[in-house]
Formats: sequence, C-alpha cells, structure tokens
Amino acid sequence: MLVFANPAFLWALTAAAIPLMLHMFQRRKTVVTPFPTLRFLKAAQKRSSSRIRFENFLLWLLRTLLLLVIVFAFAIPVLRSTTGASWLTRTRRDVAIILDASYSMNYEMDRGKVWDICKDAAAGVVGGLLPDDRVCVYVAADSPIPVIEKPTTEHATVIQAIRSLTCQPGTSKMDETIGLALRTLEQQDGRREREVYVMTDGQAVPWQGFRDAAKQDEKAADKKTAISREQRDKISFFTLLAGASQPDNACPSDVKVSPLLLLAGQPARLSVRVAHTGPAKPISVGLEIDGEERGRRGITSEPNAESSLEFAIGGLEPGIHIAKITTPKDALPEDDSFLFLLRVRKQLPALIVGPQEATRYLKAALAPGAADDSIKHIEAAELESLDLRDFQAVFLCDVFPLSGQAVMRVEEYAKTGGVVIVFPGDRADTSAYADMKILPAQPKGSIDVPVEQAARSLKRIPNQKGQVVNFNLSLPPGTVPSVALKRVLTFGALEESAAVLVTAGDDVPFMLGRAVGRGRVFMFGIAANRDWSTFPLTAFFLPVVHQLIRQGAGASVQPPHLAMGSNIPVNEAVPNYREDDVIASPSGAPLSIKDGGNRTFVIENLAEPGIYTRAKPSGQPEPVMAVNTDRFESQLAPVTPEDLAQWTGFKRLLTAKDPEELNRLIDEFRNGRSLAEIFLWVALLLSLLEWWFANRVLRTKAGAIDKLKVDLAGKVVTS
Amino acid sequence: MSDEGIGAYLNPAQMAKLNRLALNSRYVVEGTLAGRHRSAQKGASTEFADHRSYMPGDDLKRIDWKVLGRTDKYFIRRYQDETNLRVYLLVDRSGSMNYSSGQHKTKFNYACTLAAAIGYVVLKARDAVGMYIYGEKMDAALPCKNSFNELNNALKILQGYKPAKGTAGADVMHQIAETINRRAMVVIISDLLDNQPEIIKAIAHFRKNLHDVIVFHTLDPVELSLDIKRGAEFEDLETGERMIADPRAMAKEYKDLMATFIEDYRKSCSEMKVDYRLVKTDEPVDTFVRAYLEERKRMSR
Repeated sequence: MLVFANPAFLWALTAAAIPLMLHMFQRRKTVVTPFPTLRFLKAAQKRSSSRIRFENFLLWLLRTLLLLVIVFAFAIPVLRSTTGASWLTRTRRDVAIILDASYSMNYEMDRGKVWDICKDAAAGVVGGLLPDDRVCVYVAADSPIPVIEKPTTEHATVIQAIRSLTCQPGTSKMDETIGLALRTLEQQDGRREREVYVMTDGQAVPWQGFRDAAKQDEKAADKKTAISREQRDKISFFTLLAGASQPDNACPSDVKVSPLLLLAGQPARLSVRVAHTGPAKPISVGLEIDGEERGRRGITSEPNAESSLEFAIGGLEPGIHIAKITTPKDALPEDDSFLFLLRVRKQLPALIVGPQEATRYLKAALAPGAADDSIKHIEAAELESLDLRDFQAVFLCDVFPLSGQAVMRVEEYAKTGGVVIVFPGDRADTSAYADMKILPAQPKGSIDVPVEQAARSLKRIPNQKGQVVNFNLSLPPGTVPSVALKRVLTFGALEESAAVLVTAGDDVPFMLGRAVGRGRVFMFGIAANRDWSTFPLTAFFLPVVHQLIRQGAGASVQPPHLAMGSNIPVNEAVPNYREDDVIASPSGAPLSIKDGGNRTFVIENLAEPGIYTRAKPSGQPEPVMAVNTDRFESQLAPVTPEDLAQWTGFKRLLTAKDPEELNRLIDEFRNGRSLAEIFLWVALLLSLLEWWFANRVLRTKAGAIDKLKVDLAGKVVTS
Repeated sequence: MSDEGIGAYLNPAQMAKLNRLALNSRYVVEGTLAGRHRSAQKGASTEFADHRSYMPGDDLKRIDWKVLGRTDKYFIRRYQDETNLRVYLLVDRSGSMNYSSGQHKTKFNYACTLAAAIGYVVLKARDAVGMYIYGEKMDAALPCKNSFNELNNALKILQGYKPAKGTAGADVMHQIAETINRRAMVVIISDLLDNQPEIIKAIAHFRKNLHDVIVFHTLDPVELSLDIKRGAEFEDLETGERMIADPRAMAKEYKDLMATFIEDYRKSCSEMKVDYRLVKTDEPVDTFVRAYLEERKRMSR
C-alpha cells in the first residue's frame, strides 16, 4: 500500500499543468518573420503535422510526468508491506526469536564469530521492540531449548538471557524449534501481530526437516513439521543468514579401524575421511595416540569433496589408547580433531562349560598346556553364578538340560553381544534344548551314521541375501575339511535370523548360526569330543574354534568412536558396563544412564564431545567412549533465500545477509519503505530523457536538399 | 568611387577580377556588328562553311574552281560569318526577392550585383548588353548596347527600383521572348518563386526562339536549409499570408520540398539545354561569376 509521509506537498501536483500552460502561452507570443517560401512551409507543415503533434504530445507527457514525479518524491511516498501496515507500527506484537546453536555457528568471520553476530542481532531485535511487545527466545539445537519460554515484556531480561547463551556442540533442527515457537505464540491471548526471527549461519543442514517435508504434499508437510498452512501464510518470518557465503573448512569426518578387534602386537590400519568445504587446497592430517604424534599425511582435497587417507599403526601395548586425527586450525576449529579409542587386548577370554570328558579337546585346543588363564572351564552348575560379560565366547558342551537361571544368563549374554557356541552331547535328549530359545534351530533328534557313509567333507554354505550371521571357513593351506561322522543331530525349522553355515556332505547340517540381539549363537550337529565324530581330532578343529571366538569378539566390540545423540543403549557404547559404574563426561559431570528395564540401560543424552571415563577402584579412570560431534554441520553448504522460501513454504519470509539488512527489512516491514529516492532517480532519468528528446527535435534533420551538391559555379549535382 | 551605376555594385578589385573573362554563347547568335561569335549568317570570315550552287549575280571570285574542274558545275564557297553577342539580362524584382536572412544581401540586391558583373564582362568582350526589369509587370526594357555608359545608365535605373509586392514572372518572360527577335543570349536572374510550370514554359519560349538561355536561380541559404532556431509567425513576402510554425520540427519536410523544387527546375532546364545555376546569396558575386565563366569556357572547348 502506498502512502505519503508528506501529503501536504501533493498540492504541488497542480504544477503538472505548467507545461501545457507554457505551451499555450508560448503560442500567443510569436514574432512576425517575413519569409519568401511560405508555400513550402505550409506544405511541410501539412506533411509533418501528425508527427509533430505526436512529438509534442510526447514532450508534454514527459514534462508533465517529470513534474509529477518530482512532486511525488517531495511528498515522500512510503510503500507498506501489508495492507494493514499503517497500524502495524502501533500494534502490539508477540515475537519469537530463534537462535541456531549448531557448532557451525562458531565459524570465525571478519566481523567475529557468526554466533556472536547472531546474538547481537537478536539483542538488537529485542531492543527495537515497543514496551508492550512480548518476546520469547528459543535455541535450536539437537532438540529445541526454550530460553524464555513464555513471551515476556521484560526486554532487558531477555537481552541478558540472549547475551549469556553459549553455542551448542551439536547440530540443530530448525523445523522442530520453529514449530515449538509457533505453538507458544499460538497459545498467547489477544489479537497481536506475530513475528518470528531466526538467527542462523545459513547452513542447509538445520533446515533438513523442512527440506524433507517439502518433497511431500502440503498436508503431509504440515504434519511432518507441525506447522500449519495458516501459520505459514500469516506469520511473518525474518531470517538472518549471517554465515559466510563461500565458507572454507576442513575436518576429519570419520575413522575406521581395521581390524576391529586389536590384539597386542598386531598391526592395524586406520581409514580416515576428511571432509572439505571450499576451493581445492592441500590439507595436512595428523594422527596422535596418547598425546604423541604418530604420523602426518598430506592430501590435496578437491573442492567441496571428501577425501580419504590411511594410517598404518604398529603393534600397540594392551590397554585403551586415546587417539586423535587432526586437521590444521581453520575458521571452524570445533571440528578440527576427531577422537577415537583403540582398545588393544592381550588375548580373547573364553569360557568352556561342560563336563571334563566333553570339553577335553576344546580346552586342549584353546589353552594348550593349561598355561593361558584367559580360558576358563566350569561345570554347568556354576553357570548360574558366573558373570559371563568378562568372556568373548562361551562354549556349552553337553550341558543340557540347564537350569532356568542359567538359560536366562546365557540368553542375556548373547543378546548383549556375546557369542555362544553349543555342542550337543549324549546327556541330553531333544526336549532338553527346548528351554533355550536362542538356538538357531531346535534339535529334532539324532541319527547314527553308517560306517560306509561316515566320511563327509565340510562345505560352507554361501551367504544368502539378507543373511545376518555368516562364517568364513578359512583353513590352513593343504587342509582337507572332511570328518567321519558317527552320530549327528537333526534339526527342525530354522529360527528367525538363523542359517545353516556348514554342512557335512551335501545335506547334513554341521554348523548353524543365528544373530540374537547384538550377539551370535552357533550350534554344531556333533559333540565336542570324539564320541560323535572325528572333528576334534582334525587339523581344522582349532582354526574353526578360534575363528568363532574372534568373530564373537568382533560382534561384541564397542565402536572406537560415537557421535553425539540421545537414548543410546549403554552396551553399544560402553564395554562391560555394570550397574554400579559411574561414567563421567569430558567436563567431569556424571553421565545419566537410565534403566530401560529387563536389565537394559540407556544413555539419556550424549551431548558433550570428548573422552568419557569410568571410575575404577584403582583410582585411575578408564576411557570408555570417544564422542565426536556429528560432522553433518561441518559440510558447510549455504542455503539461498530462494531455497528457504521453497522448503519452508513461508509466504512472508524476509531474508537478510547481515544485521544491517535485517534492521532495514524490519524497518521497511513495520514502517514501510520510502520511495522518495527512487522517485528522484526516476525524475533524473525523465529529465535526461526530456533533454535528449527536446534536443532531438532541435537537431536539424538531414533532408533531401543536403544531398544536393552545388559547386562554386552554381552547378547542381544530385548525389 | 561613385555610389551610382556600376560603382554601386562592383568595386575596382572585383572588376579587375572580371577583366579577362568572357561570356561565350554556346549557340550561333545574330548580332549587329562583327564580333567573335558565330553568326547564323554566312559572311566573310576565313572559316569555311559550305558550298552553294552559283546563282547569277554572285561574285565570281567566290566560285570554287577546283570543284568546277572536277564536276563541270559552278559552286560558290561560303564562309562562316562572325558577329557580336547580344546579352539580355532579366532581373526579377518580385516581392520574394526582397528576402535576406539577415547576414547577407537581399536576393534582389544580389541579383543586381550579379547583373552588373555579367554586364561588365559582356561589355569588356565588346559585346552588347540589354536589361529587362520586372516585378508584377514589365518595369523597364533597356535595349542592347555595347557601351559602358549605357550599362551604367541601366544599372542606375535598376538601382532606382525596389522589390515589388507580387510577381508575374512567367507572363513577363513570355512578353520579353516575343520582344527579342533575333538569336541572343538571355540571362534570367530570379528566385523563380512563381508558378513553376509557367516559368518553365516561359523559359521554353526563349529556347523556342533559339536564344541561349542562362538561369541564375538566386536563393538565400536560409531558404534552402530553413536554419531558423525558433518558431515564429511567418508572413509571405508576396501574398502577405501568415502562418505560425516551428521550423525546427518541419525542417526535414521543408528541405525535401525545396530539393524537389530545385530538382524540377534543374531537370527541365537540362532537357531544354538551358544552363541552370543555383546561386546562394552568401557567395561573393565576383567569385561566383569567375568560377561560372571559367567553367563555361572549359565546357565550350
């Protein structure tokens, strides 16, 4: 809507009549000039009259327009953004301010950190509000953080709260925070104008929720982001995109340790991915282990691409080593290092359960000479009282039937990442296995194999599509995997997530496997001694058993690093967690772990990057987790105002690149935009046009006579 | 120097410039005295013209004996006669000739000066010059004389005339054409702002009578370019009609019309073998006459 700040000046619009009046006045005051060729003048006037009339009309129009524009310019026209904007400056407002607190806000620019710029801008917005205006403040982090939840008129308090805010180390979700802010505004009473101010660095990641919703239809989008269509249409959104338009950042984004299970003295390989935003440049990547630099590599990263490189590390001592990948310090230092833990074990502990005669060969194979204390042997009765979490694998050899408590312990052990290897025996009939629900298949019975059919070669069944558990039968060179069977179990239908891994001959299941929770259960069709087969006597008995233990260790090992997040099962993060363990965050605060029931524990919120430790009775805390910020925010991809408008669907979305522009937008929105300057420019253009046009008329046009050449002797030549 | 007669129009320096020039006719003329121009008559010059059959009474010394010896027939040898040139100056003093754009002479004044210069050149070549002055009617008819005194008197008479109100150029020219009974040279000095077809007919009348005609179309430069910077109420010099116009706006159309007007005269004169020249009043008369006569001499070779 166009209004005038100085409407009194509009009286000067009568000046538009001046050109016409001057024209008429000029016609009356003419000088009589004698002329001999009046007939040619008359004829010329007749020919050019229509053109002259048109040119005169244009000239009159230009001059009138010029005067009108000048008058309008002095009347100071103001363009309001909304039809009701004339009273907008006087109306009361409810304002929600949302600060993006993702760690990319720590990006250092020439004017300071983006976070500080945004805080200043937010404080400026609050400072510019009228006393009756109410304001609430939210911080967009992994989950919305209400700073001033209920809109208040105490602006000084709000500014103080904004000034005291700190940037969060994680990412942020704009859709959830904006949705929450809008719900808060909706709940306020009174007919007030509602405005939402979003202060962000302008990275695309926080707007991912809107982006995903934009791919759906309108109703689904409204439902997904919990922002109604009416809110999108009616509420005014101001967005400050204060970040760098062409950011430059490099960071280590991921580390993979291979092999996953590190044993003392065993070399390992680190695969490091380095994410880079900005033009191509060389990046120096360093590896530190226990505070000591162990390697440095240089890469030349492609523009806006991820690169990978590898570090080889030699044999490490048993224990937990804190390692770190670093990149050179840049404008966003928060992501320049990536922490992870290297857990190096001396030997893999295993438990053998069963009577002596059934376990003899296993013990001989795993602990030759009984010198290795990592292999423990117990009777089935002791199973009820032993904590199985200290072992990487539990061998059950001819132990069925088991007591209910023992079965429960074994099942829990398997579900939390342990490996259970079951060998049948003569003591149990088929019904004895029924209580154990984690077996790959329930045995149906056993068959005695005729001597003439005893010799069987072992065949690994190739992995099927979707098969969860697998087993790679890698044997020493020259070994022929064949056994002589005397008796073998027959199985019923395979349970869920179970598969036949090895067969004896073509069709007799020899070894079955099943994924249970985070663990694995393997079951053989033969006993662990030589009563049922010659398997314990073969050359490949030892490799198979070792591979089972190692695979079990791999399945239960905790990842070397974790990303920040919430509701993380503790056994996926912390090895050998006990209820009385106290985990300390990097800042020293105890980590909140809640009991999820059924002996499962969950980390409520892993919100702080760094090394988490577990207190030990010896006094020296043990590192248990290396937590890093999620590196999505490190891939700095600035969003454009057009993208924002498209993703959010906000009809009244105003986007500014800096606080000054934001203030101007706010001012224009509330007070309207003065068009006086534009009008003056138009006046200047019109005056130039008038000058050119009037002088074009004045300029003598070339006529046919200019083509006549008359020489000194008066001879006329037509060119 | 006298302010009357030729002295009013030409100063000694200008006359000196014109001294050695001559106005030659491109055609045969009929004069009254012996001169250096070819005559329509056969006479006693040394230039052989043709043979004619002997007639009783012919002078025997003119018989061509060599032809008699070859053909046994009597033929008389005839020789080209040479006579003086009679030049009639037609000076227009119509109302339109009273125009000057301010910086130069009026067209009438310029026409008088041009007439004086041409007359001077003609007399210097011992030829005869006569003058007709006309406006709305024939004002003066001065016969051909080969005397400076006569030219001086004619120019004094011309000096006494002012431009008339109207024009009757075509009628007067027809009248003059009827008056000049022997082949002569007719020099028309006028702006030709009259009924164009009638003027062309009048010029044709002169050519029909075998006169050598020269047209000095005298115009002011502003008449050609309409280089007038501001609008005004224009008044016709002959009819007194008025109109308000902005010359800047219509300059192109005016120039086109003027070019057509001049081109029509030029083409018509060219078809009638009339020497048509456009004279602008900003050009010095002596320079123009000298350039014109030298070019004419070059063309007649």
